Amino acid sequence: MNTSAANAGVSNTGGWYAAAWLHRLASTRLTLLFIVLLACGVIAYEPAAGRGAWLIVAPLSLGAANLAAAILTNAVIRQHTALLVFHLALLAIVLLAAAGRLTYLKGQLELAEGEAFSGQLMQVERGPWHRSQLERAVFSNEGYTIRYEKGVRRADTRNAVRWVDESGREQRAVIGDHTPLTLHGYRFYTSFNKGFAPVFIWQPFAGVPQRGSVNLPSYPIHEYRQALEWNLPATQTSVWTMLQFDEVLLDPDKPSQLRLPSQHALVVRIGEARHELAPGARIALPQGVLTYERLSLWMGYTVFYDWTLPWLAAACVLAVAALAWHFRRKFAAQPWDA
Amino acid sequence: MTIELQLLWGALALYTLAGSTAIGGTVLARRVERSVLALIVIGLVVHAVSIGLRWERVGHGPFITMFEILSSNVWSLLLIFALAYWRVPAVRPAAAVVMPILFVMMGWMLVTSPGDGHYPPTYRTVWLYIHVFFGKVFLGAVLVAVGIAGLILLRRAGFGVQRLARLPDSARLENLAFRFMILGFVFETLMLIAGAVWAQDAWGRYWAWDPLETWAFLTWLTLAFFVHARATFRLQPHHSALFIMGVFVLAFLTFFGVPFVSTAPHKGAV
Repeated sequence: MNTSAANAGVSNTGGWYAAAWLHRLASTRLTLLFIVLLACGVIAYEPAAGRGAWLIVAPLSLGAANLAAAILTNAVIRQHTALLVFHLALLAIVLLAAAGRLTYLKGQLELAEGEAFSGQLMQVERGPWHRSQLERAVFSNEGYTIRYEKGVRRADTRNAVRWVDESGREQRAVIGDHTPLTLHGYRFYTSFNKGFAPVFIWQPFAGVPQRGSVNLPSYPIHEYRQALEWNLPATQTSVWTMLQFDEVLLDPDKPSQLRLPSQHALVVRIGEARHELAPGARIALPQGVLTYERLSLWMGYTVFYDWTLPWLAAACVLAVAALAWHFRRKFAAQPWDA
Repeated sequence: MTIELQLLWGALALYTLAGSTAIGGTVLARRVERSVLALIVIGLVVHAVSIGLRWERVGHGPFITMFEILSSNVWSLLLIFALAYWRVPAVRPAAAVVMPILFVMMGWMLVTSPGDGHYPPTYRTVWLYIHVFFGKVFLGAVLVAVGIAGLILLRRAGFGVQRLARLPDSARLENLAFRFMILGFVFETLMLIAGAVWAQDAWGRYWAWDPLETWAFLTWLTLAFFVHARATFRLQPHHSALFIMGVFVLAFLTFFGVPFVSTAPHKGAV
């Protein structure tokens, strides 16, 4: 018996089996099955609860395998360039979406006016392969204006921001609504979340002074709940802070703009002691001195990172252009009113 | 009643007359195409003036309240149907199927409040117009396909065999309906892409599985299923017609039904 011929036979048989399996995997009947499974997965998926992502991932993965097999083996697809481009673009979309989910980041942060982003997020979700470079995306909130229409309906948001670019030059821009600030691939968007921020200076007897803001609940959503409890830095001392003012800042009967009240009082309760503070007032405590510096505004931001976005957009445009091209050529063979 | 509402009523009366004439023409086997097209076109012009006056008065397009959305969709669906009616003679008897669907939308519009809505800052982008335009072409193309599919099913049911005798055979009608479905498929894909671009800048994410996004994607999947099923099983014309009806029902519920049960930011119609 010729060993090499026998090996070639085994190899050919293996190749034949592989080709047969590839053809089976490329079946349009399987495509139909995967579309149904994906549709069921989409209905059953509960994104708000963070459950059931596999219901989409599993049929999409099977669908991608079916699509790849069809691209490799389906004669109709391979003979029609536009159809081939469409299916390749569709495969690219699935792969890019998967890569995006593995490397994305989505989070929230709040910055008082004049405060710089330090890279710390209040809430964050990220893909397992996300390599954070947030500490490089430093910018500061330079103040904002939000107009309101009659009926306290929020109109446009314009937020001035400042950052230093890679060449060391200071840059300024106005972001808001549809205009994010993009730094090192991170897109920072203003959100509807914003409010008042009393700024304090904490001077401990042992240590350096610290300036910080207390971001009160979002305004005007929580108009009647402008209070917050917080701890003095590096102590167990709890401070309850409430902002009081009588002015109508956002008049429902006419257009207005969010601004600081012209007069206000800041009520601070520490233990049993109650203080009503004006800007510049101080409270002496056993661990140090707390100074109420001024009232400011804070802005809530969402941050989003997904490096695949431009590639996804390009793949989508390519897919739809190829689809249109394919059917245009196909339908051109016979007039519509034939 | 304001002039814009008077014009709207006038347009609806013209559409009703056009629809009734089309249905009567099909039932009585009379050629009424020119009258139907003329009535629709005059109605569209009057309706366009009404929408324009409202746009000028409230300072934004018809994108916010259910009244505005139904009104603009009646207009855009009829415009696309009128174009198909004018260019493709085989589509003309489909008016007897399409107009009753539009009558339902018109009736619904008349019982919704014509009051003004708030135009949110997230809607102040050119992507809204692009997204809505693609969506309207998508639904319009599917509506034309539904009209043709209705003719196939009527013929299959034995209704008006004589009256529909002048039409091409059902296989050719199915092919024509399929072309409109493909047009819808392309424009739904464009609608999803434009919506994702808009959502990325308006809400900081391109896709969040909110109910409207989810059902729009399910409609896209159903269309993809139809295209593959038609190629795989060489569907009979009446089977294709039933599929087309199913896609339209899903698309219609997505456009006009989901916003009622959605509390997500992307509320669409409400």
